[in-house]
Amino acid sequence: MIERTVTVVPEDGLHARPASQVVEAASEYESRVTVGPAGGESVDASSMLAVTSLGVGSGDAVDLTADGEDEQAALDELETILTTPES
Amino acid sequence: MLDNPHKTRTISGISATPLSGLGTARWYRSGERPDPGEVSAADPETERQRFDDAQEAAREELETEREQTRERVGSEEAAVFDAHLQFLDDPQLTDPIEAAIADGAAAEEAVDKAFGGAIEQFEGMEGMMAERADDLRDIRDRLLRLLSGGERTDLTDLPEGTVLFAERLTPSDTAQLDPDTIAGFVTMTGGRTSHVSIFARSLGIPAVVGAGEELAEIREATKVAIDAEREVVVANPDAAVREQVTAGRDVTVRENRVETRDGTEIEVAANIGTAAELDGAVDQGADGIGLFRTEFLFLDRESPPSEDEQFESYVEALDAFPEGRVVVRTLDIGGDKPIPYLDLPEEENPFLGNRGIRRSLDADSDLFESQLRALLRAAAAGKGTLSVMFPLVSTIEELTAALDAVDRVASDLDDEGIDYAQPELGVMIETPAAVLMAPEFAERVDFLSIGTNDLAQYVMAADRENEAVAELHDPQQPAVLRAIDRAVEAAHANDSWIGMCGEMAGDPDLTELLVGLGLDELSMSAVTVPAVKANITEIDRSEAVDRRDRALTKNTKSMVTKTVNQ
Repeated sequence: MIERTVTVVPEDGLHARPASQVVEAASEYESRVTVGPAGGESVDASSMLAVTSLGVGSGDAVDLTADGEDEQAALDELETILTTPES
Repeated sequence: MLDNPHKTRTISGISATPLSGLGTARWYRSGERPDPGEVSAADPETERQRFDDAQEAAREELETEREQTRERVGSEEAAVFDAHLQFLDDPQLTDPIEAAIADGAAAEEAVDKAFGGAIEQFEGMEGMMAERADDLRDIRDRLLRLLSGGERTDLTDLPEGTVLFAERLTPSDTAQLDPDTIAGFVTMTGGRTSHVSIFARSLGIPAVVGAGEELAEIREATKVAIDAEREVVVANPDAAVREQVTAGRDVTVRENRVETRDGTEIEVAANIGTAAELDGAVDQGADGIGLFRTEFLFLDRESPPSEDEQFESYVEALDAFPEGRVVVRTLDIGGDKPIPYLDLPEEENPFLGNRGIRRSLDADSDLFESQLRALLRAAAAGKGTLSVMFPLVSTIEELTAALDAVDRVASDLDDEGIDYAQPELGVMIETPAAVLMAPEFAERVDFLSIGTNDLAQYVMAADRENEAVAELHDPQQPAVLRAIDRAVEAAHANDSWIGMCGEMAGDPDLTELLVGLGLDELSMSAVTVPAVKANITEIDRSEAVDRRDRALTKNTKSMVTKTVNQ
């Protein structure tokens, strides 16, 4: 399992489009992916309900974990989504 | 009488758009359905099948609504349906539903309980979180409606002058509203950033949201005014209010034409997809239509529109701008848009495939011919000036073939004794090939029009839908800017005028740069027309040219942006 902490850049935080993108990405990988506020409890990143209920806003730090064969790629993609400003 | 229904009454809310309106209140009634708690369960297998069917039907509806919203409102607004699709398949919701059904619950009860728990979790929270509760309610109600076999409420055909009153409107409700006939809407819930407000702004519909429960006291068929400036809805408005509301409307309608401080006239036009958007364009003071995307006439139907049906739509657009110009883009369809009656093969790369003029000259030549016939007839019958442009042209052969097709249609109409007129003809500049060939194109046509979204996509080889490359897909990239400049020079050297349609044209921060580059026309979403017009009147042409000169020497996007913002 690998872990990473990133700061959320998109203005909407983990809502709306960024949340959709995280859920979509997390669902595409074999690895089990979680997301949660830094140091707090993490949830399944492929569940829209769980991800949006975190209430993570722009500028918040989140812990990402991935566990599985493609864990590296999964975290790379999630990090890109969470650190790219919305157009 | 205490509750006099004819008394003037003012209720405060939040203005979702800067537009005011006057009309008749009509309450939104969603279809009746049984109380979920009172549906008796069949055996678990049957209930499970019912739930699976409803989930599948909901998925299909959401996908259709996402496409319609993308076409009618915008792709950013359509993203809400992606979120709904994800909630619909979320195991944290579907697992408890399936478990409850296995324990003998009816599908309705299982759905109601699982969503109820999730909604409670978000309810009472602020901002974004409160909106998730709305999303979940929306999906729950959709599933319950489908379980009881109910149809979607049709809001596309409301009587003219309706001010729609509702407790709340979902994104799919709002996307159906026709800005052409509806005078506005008022909802009890919602805020400035709610989906419903964003949709109202994109469609240009007067709207007050968050008016509270007091709204329920306004009766069906009451005359009402929406006053955007005071952020209120007024029942039974007196003459003074009515005048203020209609006067408020005039303020947003600017002078027909605007020019820079030193007298260069710039045409400011609106982009539309359907004739329903014409009123919004007129209301916002557009000089004409700079991009009429005709695909919408061809989508969501079983057979192509007839020549007469197209003719009527084009005439309607021309009549809306008797003094102006309407630029119609011929059919721009490829493998990314499903059209049942066309044989559109799956392509690996639909944006680099057989689309636009390529199909019109080949597989869809019959459709192209009927579209040209409708256009040439409309040019004679409609009040405004018609211009026709071809999408995705990249070679002289394609252009020549398209121009030949126009000549052929004209001579056919002549032979048949049908009234027609020759429209202005133009080419869209969307590909690097078109930029490089622009001088030769401009020699052969009356005008060029730069589609910046596609031009940026093709120049930078960066998918416009892919957020990961959004930084590259930007008109402020020096390569894109230089391509635009080259096209403008080519047009003017060959006595053609040149316009721009695409998001760049409607960005008020870029107006000065675009004027400096020498564009003769800018076409954008109707809502941004007033802001861009206001900007133009402040611009000094020589300062704008100076800014263009500086921007063109910059070799990075960040430097270009800095020059623009200085």
